[in-house]
Amino acid sequence: MSSHYEAPIREPLVLGEKSYHDITMDIVKPIEGKANKNWYVAFTIALVAFLWGLGCIAYTISTGIGAWGLNKNIGWAWDITNFVWWVGIGHAGTLISAVLLLFRQKWRMAINRSAEAMTIFAVFQAGLFPIIHMGRPWNGYWVLPIPNQFGSLWVNFNSPLLWDVFAISTYLSVSLVFWWTGLLPDFAMIRDRAVKPFQKKIYALLSFGWSGRAKDWQRFEEVSLVLAGLATPLVLSVHTIVSMDFATSINPGWHSTIFPPYFVAGAIFSGFAMVQTLLGVMRKVTNLENYITRLHIEYMNIVIMVTGGIVAVAYASEFFIAWYTGSPYENYTYMSIGAATGPYGWAFWSLILFNIAIPQLLWIKKFRRSFIVSFLISIAINIGMWFERFDIIAIVLSKGHLPSTWTRFEPTFVDVGIFVGTIGFFFVLFLLYARTFPVIAQAEVKTIMKSSGEHYKQLRDGKNEH
Amino acid sequence: MASNKKYWKSVEELNENSSIVASLEQNEFNEGQAPESFLGDKETLEASSTTRRDFLKYVGFTTVAASLAACEGPVIKSIPYVVKPEEVTPGIANYYASTIADGFDFANVLVKTKEGRPVFILPNKEAKGTTNARVNASVLSLYDSLRLRGPKVKGNTASWSDVNGKITAQLETLSNAGEKIVILTGTLASPSTDALIADFAKKYNNVSHVVYDAISESAALDAFQEVYGERALANYKLEDAKTIVSIGADFLGDWQGGGFEAAYAAGRDVKAGKFSRHIQFEGNYSLTGANADKRVVLKPSEQAYALINLYNAVTGQNLASKKTPGDAAIKQAAAQLKKSGSKAVVITGIQDKNAQLIALAINNYLNSEILDTTNVKYVRGGNDAEVSTLIAELKAGKVGALITYNTNPVYTLAKSADFKAGLKKTKLTVGFSSKEDETLNEMQFALPTPSYLEAWGDVKMTASQYSLTQPTIKPLFDSKQFQDCLLAWSGQTTSYYDYLSAYAKSDVLGDKSWNTTLHDGFAPLSATVLSASDIDVTAAASAFKSGIKSGAFELTLYSSVAMGDGQQANNPWLQELPDPLTRASWDNYLLMSKADADELGFSNPIKDNGAINGQYATLTVNGVKLENVPVLIQPGQAKGSLGLSYGYGKTKALKEEMLVGVNAYSIAFGGSQVVSVENTGGDHLFACEQLQHTIAGRHDILRETSLEQYQHGHAEEWNPRPEVSLKHQETDVNKVDLWEDHDRSIGHHFNLSIDLTSCTGCGSCVIACHAENNVPVVGKHEVRVGRDMHWLRIDRYYTSEGDAITDNKKTNSASSEDSAELYQKLETPEAINPQVAFQPLMCQHCNHAPCETVCPVAATSHGRQGQNQMAYNRCVGTRYCANNCPYRVRRFNWFKYNSNDEFDFHMNDDFGKMVLNPDVVVRSRGVMEKCSMCIQMTQATILNAKNEGRAIDVNEFTTACSSACATGSIKFGDINSPEDEVTELRKDKRAYRLLEFIGTDNNVVYQTKIRNTNEA
Repeated sequence: MSSHYEAPIREPLVLGEKSYHDITMDIVKPIEGKANKNWYVAFTIALVAFLWGLGCIAYTISTGIGAWGLNKNIGWAWDITNFVWWVGIGHAGTLISAVLLLFRQKWRMAINRSAEAMTIFAVFQAGLFPIIHMGRPWNGYWVLPIPNQFGSLWVNFNSPLLWDVFAISTYLSVSLVFWWTGLLPDFAMIRDRAVKPFQKKIYALLSFGWSGRAKDWQRFEEVSLVLAGLATPLVLSVHTIVSMDFATSINPGWHSTIFPPYFVAGAIFSGFAMVQTLLGVMRKVTNLENYITRLHIEYMNIVIMVTGGIVAVAYASEFFIAWYTGSPYENYTYMSIGAATGPYGWAFWSLILFNIAIPQLLWIKKFRRSFIVSFLISIAINIGMWFERFDIIAIVLSKGHLPSTWTRFEPTFVDVGIFVGTIGFFFVLFLLYARTFPVIAQAEVKTIMKSSGEHYKQLRDGKNEH
Repeated sequence: MASNKKYWKSVEELNENSSIVASLEQNEFNEGQAPESFLGDKETLEASSTTRRDFLKYVGFTTVAASLAACEGPVIKSIPYVVKPEEVTPGIANYYASTIADGFDFANVLVKTKEGRPVFILPNKEAKGTTNARVNASVLSLYDSLRLRGPKVKGNTASWSDVNGKITAQLETLSNAGEKIVILTGTLASPSTDALIADFAKKYNNVSHVVYDAISESAALDAFQEVYGERALANYKLEDAKTIVSIGADFLGDWQGGGFEAAYAAGRDVKAGKFSRHIQFEGNYSLTGANADKRVVLKPSEQAYALINLYNAVTGQNLASKKTPGDAAIKQAAAQLKKSGSKAVVITGIQDKNAQLIALAINNYLNSEILDTTNVKYVRGGNDAEVSTLIAELKAGKVGALITYNTNPVYTLAKSADFKAGLKKTKLTVGFSSKEDETLNEMQFALPTPSYLEAWGDVKMTASQYSLTQPTIKPLFDSKQFQDCLLAWSGQTTSYYDYLSAYAKSDVLGDKSWNTTLHDGFAPLSATVLSASDIDVTAAASAFKSGIKSGAFELTLYSSVAMGDGQQANNPWLQELPDPLTRASWDNYLLMSKADADELGFSNPIKDNGAINGQYATLTVNGVKLENVPVLIQPGQAKGSLGLSYGYGKTKALKEEMLVGVNAYSIAFGGSQVVSVENTGGDHLFACEQLQHTIAGRHDILRETSLEQYQHGHAEEWNPRPEVSLKHQETDVNKVDLWEDHDRSIGHHFNLSIDLTSCTGCGSCVIACHAENNVPVVGKHEVRVGRDMHWLRIDRYYTSEGDAITDNKKTNSASSEDSAELYQKLETPEAINPQVAFQPLMCQHCNHAPCETVCPVAATSHGRQGQNQMAYNRCVGTRYCANNCPYRVRRFNWFKYNSNDEFDFHMNDDFGKMVLNPDVVVRSRGVMEKCSMCIQMTQATILNAKNEGRAIDVNEFTTACSSACATGSIKFGDINSPEDEVTELRKDKRAYRLLEFIGTDNNVVYQTKIRNTNEA
C-alpha cells in the first residue's frame, strides 16, 4: 500500500495543507476532546429510541407475537422487512473495505472505517430480528447445530433460515475481525498519545499490543489481504442467502430465480445510501471535510447508480415475467398490476418513486457532486429499500394462492417501536463509536498523503504558490 | 448407694482458687444483663458493631426468608380412585348412546367420555342420527361456568327440600282456589314427560301445558293438523327426490327442525346414478340457496305470490295472484316438477298456514312420494295461538302459577314486556333452566336443570323412532330434572328414572328390552298411516293472498347456523364459528343487497388491518324499534329483502365477550315483516374471516361442472390434469419429481376425500375439530384481525359473473387482456345472484410439503402414514412454515390462549377445561399448530385392532371431521387398503387436488362439484 504516482489530472483524495501530524490531530480530536452539545442531543434521542425499542421487545417477549400486527396469513411483515433492510445496509462496509481493497481503490481509505462500523452495527440490528420474531425466542438456540440431550434432534439443513444463521454469524465475525485488524495501528496511535492512565490502559488493550515494528506492518498488510479475500465472497453470499428465504419458497412473487443477484445489488445500493447518509452528517460534525471530499461522494454515487440500475432492471423483469406467465396466480405479486392497483398501491409506488425515479437524478454531475443532494437522495433510497422489502414480504403474503386467504397487515405501535428502537440502538452505537474510535483509518490515509494529498501533489507538480 | 462421682463442668475447676468458679458457685442462677444497661448507654451502643442499618438488614433478611419459606408450590389435586368404577379405565374412552333434545336441536348422538367426562359428541349412525354444529358444541355448554349452581328463591340460594315444600304448598293452595296452573315448555317431544304432566294435572286442578317454540313452526303444524289431523310436521324423503322446489325454505338449515342434509345429499349421488334438481326461490342467501342448482332471487312478498303462481302452473288452475320477477323460473320449475311427477316435492318456509296448505296441495296434486306423512316429525310443537292466549291471561292476572321449562320467553318473545308484567301478577312463578337466564331472573323460583348429558329422558323425534337420553356424567351442580320435580310435586316418591323405565317398558318398548334400547339409544316404532282430508286451496289461496304484506323493505328473521335459537350463546365455539355465507362470527347483522345498501349509504370498507367495518341501522317494525343493527352487504340478497338472525343480543348468564349482537326476537312478530330502515352511521367492527369473496380467476382451486358435462363430457375438459414441461414434453405434474419417492406401499397411508357436491357448508366438522383437537377460541377482536385458530375452515366463494361455469369460461378467455378493470371484475362478486361454492380446507398433508423444508429446527416433518406432523414442543415459532404453505392452514399461537384472563373463554376456567381432550396436548404460546389428521384417533384405531388381535376393518379409520359430516362429504381412510372407500375416491374421475400444479402431492383429495343444470 505504498504511495504510487498519481496523475495530476486526478483529484486529490486529501484536501488542504495537511501534514502527517495534522491528520493525527484531526482524527483524535473527537476522542481526546469533549463532546459538544449536538452530540449529547443526538445521543439522548438515540438512547430514548433505543430504550423504547427495548421496552417494545420486552412487551413482545412477555405477551407474545400477537403484540405485532401479524395474522394467520401474513406471518412476517415488519420483522423480516427490518431484518433484510438492516442486513442490506450492512453490505456496503464489507464491499468498501474488502472488494475495493482488492481492487486497490484508494478512495475507500477515508470511508472504510465508518462503513464497516456501520456494517457491524447494522448486522447487530439485523440479527436481533430473527431472534425476537420467534414465538419462543428462549428456545432460539435450537437453530444452532449443538450436540444435545433432546434425543436425536438436529437442525434442518434444508431450511434457508438455518443458512441465514450461518451466513449472518459468519459475516458478523469476519467483518468484526477485519474491522478490528484495521483499527489496531490507529488504536495504538491513540494509546501512545493518551495521557490519562485509564484511557491508556483501555486503548492498550484494544490495540492488542501493537508495537509499530516493520514486522507488525508486514503482518498487518498480509492479514488485511487475506481477510479481504475471505470477506469478498461474503459480500455475495450473505444477501444471496437472505434472498433464498424467499426464492426457495413457493409463494408467487417470492419463488424467483432472479432474487440472489437482485438482492445483492439491492443490498449494496442500500448500503452505500446509508454510508452517504452517515458520512454526510459525520464529515460536517467532526470536521472531516478534507478527508471525505466531493470525490468520495461522487464515487459512491456512481456505485449507487450502477447497483440502482441493476435493481431497476430486476424490478422490470419481475414485472414482465409475472405478466408473461399468464398465470392468474402471478397477478398480484409485488411487481404486478394487481399490486400497483391494489390496497398496497401506495407501497408499490413508494418503491418505484424512491428506488427508481429519485436516484436517476444522479445522472446529473452537479447533483452527484453535491453534498446536500446526495444526502437527500440517500435518504430516499433508504426509504425505498425499506419499502422494497416490505412490498416483497407483505404484498406477496397478503395475496396468497387461495383468494380466501387474502388479507392485509397493519403495524401496531410495537412493530413501529421495535423498528425505531433498532434505529436508536444503531445510532447509540454509532455515536459512541464516533467519540471513541478513530473514524478514519488514519494509518492508511497517511500512506496516500504523498501520492494523493492535495498539498503534496501541488508541491510535486510544481504548482505550489506559497 | 449414692454415687460420689463428680462431674466436671470445666477445666477451670481444677484451679481451686479460681475466682470464676467461686463467683459461679455464689451465683448459680445468673441473671441476664438488663437491656437498659446497654441500650440506655449511648457509649456502649455506639461502640457496638451491630449498627441500626445492620439490624434492619437482618430483619429484612429474616422476613424475606420467612415469607419465602411460607410459599408453597402449586398443588394440583389429583386423586386416584379408591374404588375404580368398572367401566372407567384412564386413557380409554367410553361411548354412550344418548339423545339431545333441547327444544331446538334434536339428534341421536354418541357421547364419548374420557375418565368420566363427556368430551365429544358423535352422531349415532345406527339411529340415523346426524349432528350439526350446535349439537357438536353442546358438550362445551355442559361445562359452562355460568350455569346455575343451585336452586334460588327470589334471588337467594335455597335447598331443594325447602323449594319443593314451598312450591307444593303453594300449588295446593292455588289448585284449591281454582286458579290456573300453566306449564310452559319448549318442544319436549318426550312421551314420558307428557305422561308425567298428565299425572301432574290429575293431582292439581286447572293444569294446562302450553308448548312454545322460540322460532315457531306453528303455521306448518297448523296446516298439517288441519289436513292430517295430527299436530306434527311432514317429513320428506329427499333421498328419492328428482326435483325439489323450495320457496323460502332453508331446509338444509333449521327449517322445521332441520336434519335433512343427509337425505338431500343421498339424493344427489352421481355414483348411485341419481341426482335431484333443486330449485330455490328465496330472498336471503341461505345455506340451502347456496347448495341449490338454480337459485331465483325473490323478496318475501314475491315468494308468496310465486307460491300461488307455482300452484297455478302445476295444476293449470287460475287462482288470483300477482306477477313476480320469478314467473319464468316458476314456469320452468312447474315443468320440472311435472316431469318428475311423484318424485317431485315442493316445500315452503313461508310462515303462514295457508301457504303451507298450498304447498301440501301441490305435493298432493303431484302424488309426491317424497312428502312423507307417515313418519312424521315431532321436533316442533309450539302453538302460537295458545302462547298468545297465555300472554293475554298472564297480563290480565288470570294465571295462578306459571312453570317454565326448556324455554326462555323473556328473551325470545317480542312481547316480552307483557310477559314480564304478567309474571308480576302471577302468584307462583317457577323457572327451570340450566342457566340463570333472562326468564329465570324474573321468576320467584329459579331452579337449575341438568344438561342433557347429566339427565335421563326419552325423545320421540319421528313417528318411527323412540330414543333415550342417559346421563354420561354425575351432575356438576346441585340441579334436579324438571321431571323429578314434577314427580315430587305430584306427591310421587319414585325417581324420574324409575318412572321413565317403567313408562318405556309398559307403553313403548314391547318385547325389546330396556337395556338394549338404552345401549342402542333408540328403538324403532311402527308409525301409523295418517289419512288426509281435502284441502280447500281456493279459500286458502285467497286468505293467503289477502294477508301478503309488501313494502320497500321486507325483513326475514332466520336462525343462524352457529347460534340457532340462541340458547347456547355462552358457548365460545359457536360464537367463533363463522357463518357459512358471510363468514362473520361473534355477531348478527342485517343482511342487505348491494343495491339497497348503495341507496341507503351502507358500505363495508376493508380496514388496513384486514378487518371489515360497517354502519348501524335502526329497524322499525310495527312501531317497535331495534337500534344499532350493523349492516353487512350480502351478494345475492334480493333487493328489498333484509335478513337478521336470531340468537344474539342475550344479556344474562353470558361472559362479557359473548355480549354481542342484537336481539332479533324483539321484532319477531311472525313471518316476514315490512320494516323501515334508517342509516344511523357509526362504525361497527365485524369479525369476518374472508375478505376476498371470489376465486379471482383461479378456477383450479374450486372445480365445478354440470351434471350434463359429467355424464357425457370428457373428464379432461372439466377436470384437467395439471402438466409441467419435462424435457420439453408436457408431463403430468405427479410424474415429475426431483427426488426418488419414498416407498409408501407398506403400512397405512391416510387420505381424506372431500366431496364438494355434497358439502353443504354446515360447519359441523369445524366444531367437531375444535372439540377433538382442543383448538383454542381467540375472541372477536382476534378473529377480526385474522388470527382465528380454526384448523379446519370452510372457504366460501361467490362467482364474479353468473354461474361458475360461465364465470370460468369468461375469465379464462380474458387473461390475455390484463387490466385493472379486469381485476376489479374478477375480484368483485356478482351482486344480483352469484352462485356459491364451499370448500372445507384443512392441512392438505402434502407428501412434498413446503412447510417441512423451511423449518430451521425440523419441528414439522413427514409421518410414515402420510401425515404432515407438527412437533409442538420443538417449534420455536419462526412462522416460516405458515408463510410457505400455499393453503394457509397453519395457525400460530399469538398469545397464550389458556389460563389467560385476556382470553376468558372455556380454557380459562376449571369447568371449561374439563372439555379438553386428554389425548391432545394444549399448545403453548409461540408455537405453530394445524390439522394433524386426528393422529390420536388413527393411532387409537390401530392400537385397538392390535389389542383385539384383528386386522383393521374396512373404513374403520375416522377423523373428527369425517365422523361429524352428516352428508358423507368428508371421507377418511387408508389408500393402502383397497377396500377403503377413499382408495376409490382418490382415483375417481372427479378427484383433483388443490393447487396440484405446485407439485405438493397432497393427501387430501377434492371431488369436483356438480350442479344439475338440466332444465326440463
